[in-house]
Amino acid sequence: MLKFSLSHNYRLALIDLVDALKSWRIWLLLAWHEVKLRYRRSTLGPFWITLSMAITIYTMGVLYGHLFKMDLAVYYPFLATGILGWNLISLIVNDATMTFVSVEQFIKQMKQPYLFFLFQSVTRNFIIFFHNILVLVPLILFFHLKINIYTLFIFISLLILWINAVSYSTILALLGTRFRDIPILVASLIQVVFFLTPIMWSPTILPERYHYIIALNPFAQFMELFRNPLLGTLPSNYTLITTLGLTILGIFSSFIIFSRYRARIAYWL
Amino acid sequence: MALIQLNSLSIDFPIYHLNARSIRKRFLRLTGGALRKETTHTVIVKALDNISFTLEHGDRVGLIGHNGAGKSTLLRVLAKIYEPNHGAIHIQGRVSPLLNVMLGINPESTGYENILVRGLLLGLSQEEIKAKTQEIAEFTELGEYLSVPIRTYSAGMQLRLAFAVATCIKPEILLMDEMIEAGDANFKKKAEIRLTEFIEQSSIMVLASHSNETIKRLCNKVVLLEKGQLKYFGDLDEGFARYNQLDSVN
Repeated sequence: MLKFSLSHNYRLALIDLVDALKSWRIWLLLAWHEVKLRYRRSTLGPFWITLSMAITIYTMGVLYGHLFKMDLAVYYPFLATGILGWNLISLIVNDATMTFVSVEQFIKQMKQPYLFFLFQSVTRNFIIFFHNILVLVPLILFFHLKINIYTLFIFISLLILWINAVSYSTILALLGTRFRDIPILVASLIQVVFFLTPIMWSPTILPERYHYIIALNPFAQFMELFRNPLLGTLPSNYTLITTLGLTILGIFSSFIIFSRYRARIAYWL
Repeated sequence: MALIQLNSLSIDFPIYHLNARSIRKRFLRLTGGALRKETTHTVIVKALDNISFTLEHGDRVGLIGHNGAGKSTLLRVLAKIYEPNHGAIHIQGRVSPLLNVMLGINPESTGYENILVRGLLLGLSQEEIKAKTQEIAEFTELGEYLSVPIRTYSAGMQLRLAFAVATCIKPEILLMDEMIEAGDANFKKKAEIRLTEFIEQSSIMVLASHSNETIKRLCNKVVLLEKGQLKYFGDLDEGFARYNQLDSVN
């Protein structure tokens, strides 16, 4: 009996996944609408975030470049790609915990695959990210950001990031629905992670004996996966293996957890 | 042919007492101590208790019962939103829940954008919506207004738009929580004709309402719920008679 109900849960979770993927047109359109609506009444639209990010990067760059005594031609590309990637990751993590809570009225009024909302929320943040890529333009013009064959690897990096964003967001969304302090907890933890991840500081200035901070930090690994192609090099083998491992772990664990608690989501809201 | 079968179905709701939902309480529970007693119990509410009935093609069912009797919960079960804890539900046919006509209507979007988004949520394809847009525009008589954000509309105009989009589909199993309203008084007649056609297209309709008149007008069967239990399923007259009895007992 237990065995039956277990496989039954997996089957329903799989149906949820397939149905959500099938309606990709709708969540893509809704994600796009959300970005558009958020800035409808402003002239610059989503580019406001891009502008504010550019101001942060270019003012912070001068200050921290001097503090860390780094060549600005090296530091600017490093910082800009770092903030660009971090902005994407932190937005996704912060939105993840509230994914189901914020669409409560939808979940309670009509049957929709639950993963539909995760695809929508993750994709919305990717759309915002694609606006932000513009901050790299001055770097290409003035700091000779290296663009070569390795740059193309960014598409693979983004795909891996998207998959991880969806699978880990699923777990965070379930937790955030059941325990309402998770969103607050995650929002404060993510700030700590920001300082522990090489975004403002380069791994080269970290003493060798502290390198475990980077090696054991999954965010640092995803950061390298994202940043290296943009700086014209490939991610290291260590990064490739860890991120791939985390991807597989994420897919399996999120699927198992989602199967187990999928039917409870409506009750928790 | 649409079919709905409920077999001794129950829905239990965990009510997380005050802060029982917070992790702090969980943590305190792990550490033990005096707090244990008050935090471990989550209140379980039996929203629906051992419900069985079968609905077939042509059934127009009115859900009656007092506030909190479980009408909305039952509608959500039929919409497959709540999966039952005990018992089984079997549904043949596509369910169109219209529990809230304004669902997905965004005030910042234009009328046309809202038609598109709302239509997609109702399960229409982009092509189908395109084909129906003209008809919706004519029915709502909103004309040029459809190109501006609907926050500029009056409440009645917004409702008219939501009503027109919601009723443009061809429902198989139609679920409604209270009768959908069409707004302005001079619009009512037109809306009523459209609504009647809309309901007639459906194979099964389930309507929860506090208005006995509406149910007597549109339904041919009733489900009487009281505190999550099925008190009666069948004939209108008998159903209302028992409903009134409940009142006199209380």
